[in-house]
Amino acid sequence: MSVEEFLRVDDVVVGYGSSDILKSLSLSIRKGEFVALLGSSGCGKTTLLRAIAGFARPKSGAIHVNGKDVTLLPPDKRGMALVFQSYALWPHMTVAQNIGYGLKLRGMARADITRRVEELQDLLGLAGLGQRKPGALSGGQRQRVALGRALAIDPEILLLDEPLSNLDARIRLKVRHDISALQKRLGITAVHVTHDREEAMVMADRIVIMENGNIAQQGAPEEVFNRPASPFVAAFMGAENMIQLRGTVGGGHVKIDSSATNREAVLPLDGRALSDGVYEARFRAEGAHLLVNDGAADAADAGLDLVGHVEAASYPGGTWRHSVRVGDEILLVDSPQPVAQGEAVRVRIPAKNLFLFNLGGSFSRPRQSSLNEGGAARVLEASHA
Amino acid sequence: MSNTAPNRILGLLLVLPALAVIVLLFVVPLASSVIGAFETGDGFGLDNFAKAFELYTSDIIFTVVIVSISTVLIGLLSVAIGGYLVLGENPRAVAILRWLYRWPLFIPFIVVGQILRTFLAKNGLMNNILIEAGLITPLQAVSFLDWRGIVIAFVWKQTPFVALLVSGAMSALDRSTIEAARNLGSSRLRILFEIIVPQVATTMMVGLVLSFVTMMSVLSVPLMINAQSPTMITADIAFRINAYGDYGVANALGLISLVASGCVGWFYLRQTMKERA
Repeated sequence: MSVEEFLRVDDVVVGYGSSDILKSLSLSIRKGEFVALLGSSGCGKTTLLRAIAGFARPKSGAIHVNGKDVTLLPPDKRGMALVFQSYALWPHMTVAQNIGYGLKLRGMARADITRRVEELQDLLGLAGLGQRKPGALSGGQRQRVALGRALAIDPEILLLDEPLSNLDARIRLKVRHDISALQKRLGITAVHVTHDREEAMVMADRIVIMENGNIAQQGAPEEVFNRPASPFVAAFMGAENMIQLRGTVGGGHVKIDSSATNREAVLPLDGRALSDGVYEARFRAEGAHLLVNDGAADAADAGLDLVGHVEAASYPGGTWRHSVRVGDEILLVDSPQPVAQGEAVRVRIPAKNLFLFNLGGSFSRPRQSSLNEGGAARVLEASHA
Repeated sequence: MSNTAPNRILGLLLVLPALAVIVLLFVVPLASSVIGAFETGDGFGLDNFAKAFELYTSDIIFTVVIVSISTVLIGLLSVAIGGYLVLGENPRAVAILRWLYRWPLFIPFIVVGQILRTFLAKNGLMNNILIEAGLITPLQAVSFLDWRGIVIAFVWKQTPFVALLVSGAMSALDRSTIEAARNLGSSRLRILFEIIVPQVATTMMVGLVLSFVTMMSVLSVPLMINAQSPTMITADIAFRINAYGDYGVANALGLISLVASGCVGWFYLRQTMKERA
């Protein structure tokens, strides 16, 4: 065990009946680190959080906090506090009673409880609301009461189960920063469950992307964003444009064969683990350039060029978003200038923005797995990207 | 404006059947009973009440005390049952309890009285079992067929009803409010009384008020279990009418038990009004 390691999850299996939600998952978290568990619904991220908190008992495996095995300890003996998605405030108690309940259970003197509760109310911007019932608070205030209740008992680890998902979009942006600033200030270790990529990127030191009860990839936000380890991660991190390419590897480069929809390109391997064959290529709308087809030839190593024509354009703000038909695919590409519908274009994807993955030999692609289905329709709604 | 008058008549015609049923079957009998309570041989007066209190004061107190004790016990038991159904950690025990506790709901009061009469008598099943088990000697055997029998019968019959309401309200609670308390280190008993019961208090009040009023009106149980003095008001009313044809005192006793039920109902109404406000 390394010195820094504080919370360790070892080969934990959690499931009900014969189906396992977590499949032998291991994770290690440093003291003071803010880790985001990111994944779509049903991937097991909340189950992992509940297993850490002590509400879901693992079938096998172990959970250690600071070197101590807590796998079989009840939730309150683990030095952790959980903030629930629904906040789970007690409606019959006032704000002060909610925040102070954990202290009352610990047998703290009433005067000390009052002092600590007031401290927390000031810290969380709840001063003067102590005598209100949760029903008389706004969503953001309730969320802060839930946070205060968790922080009151001075937990070593703060567990957050989608605490922002019930807030308005605008308040959410502010609370994101509030929570991560508070976490840094208190030096507390935090595990945050979310399905919101941007939220995870902004708040966390490390992102753990989960898929089907396993960890698909983990790393710093920029690492996961720029070097996705699998098509799933690439798609989850926003690279939803997908095409298939054929190519060969050699001399530190990958040579993409030309086809009806793309020109030949030679790209640096740059650490990609690829072999000859068929590739699934993914890129983000903002990671590609739209060039009006002027026939001018560029150097082949500038990136990958796809040829197609514009089907629609919309303005979500900042840049124009175009849906471009390339062969059978419809790809979304951003451009600072609008391009007219029907215009023949080249989509240029710089090598660093192109994520390539070997496709298991066969050229047939399961249509239903394409996240790009209905891409044209999505262009038309003002995208929130 | 010209439309208003015919419309009003049409509206009255539409509600007339329902109104007539209520007036004829509910308001008129109630009013005649209330008036009857004040009717004496020579006009109106409080003679019936004087006689009722003179003869039955101990029975009135007996009734209110017994029903109150039963209500408190029903409340405690239904919280215990509901609490175990929500917080119990042995799934099999929870399933068995969930299946069992509702049975008395389907047994009529008169049958409950009969069952308990054979069970609680001095030479009844309960004492026989205790004697066979060597826990008491035959000389120590006592009959429970007095106020205790009535309380047992009421609690036996009414607990499932309140427990049904209470456990329904408990299982409708946001489960994370329970987990949040567990997360902070609350024991199951504290969770039950500090987190769960306050959140289902209104539902429990409704159940207990309805139980109180039901128990006030049961005749079969006191007749089956406790046919001696003091007994419950219902038995006295039946006796006044059947033995003496004395409707005046019977009506007065009825009005007294109506007032007792009314107090509880008023308490409940005040509580719900406060919550709505």
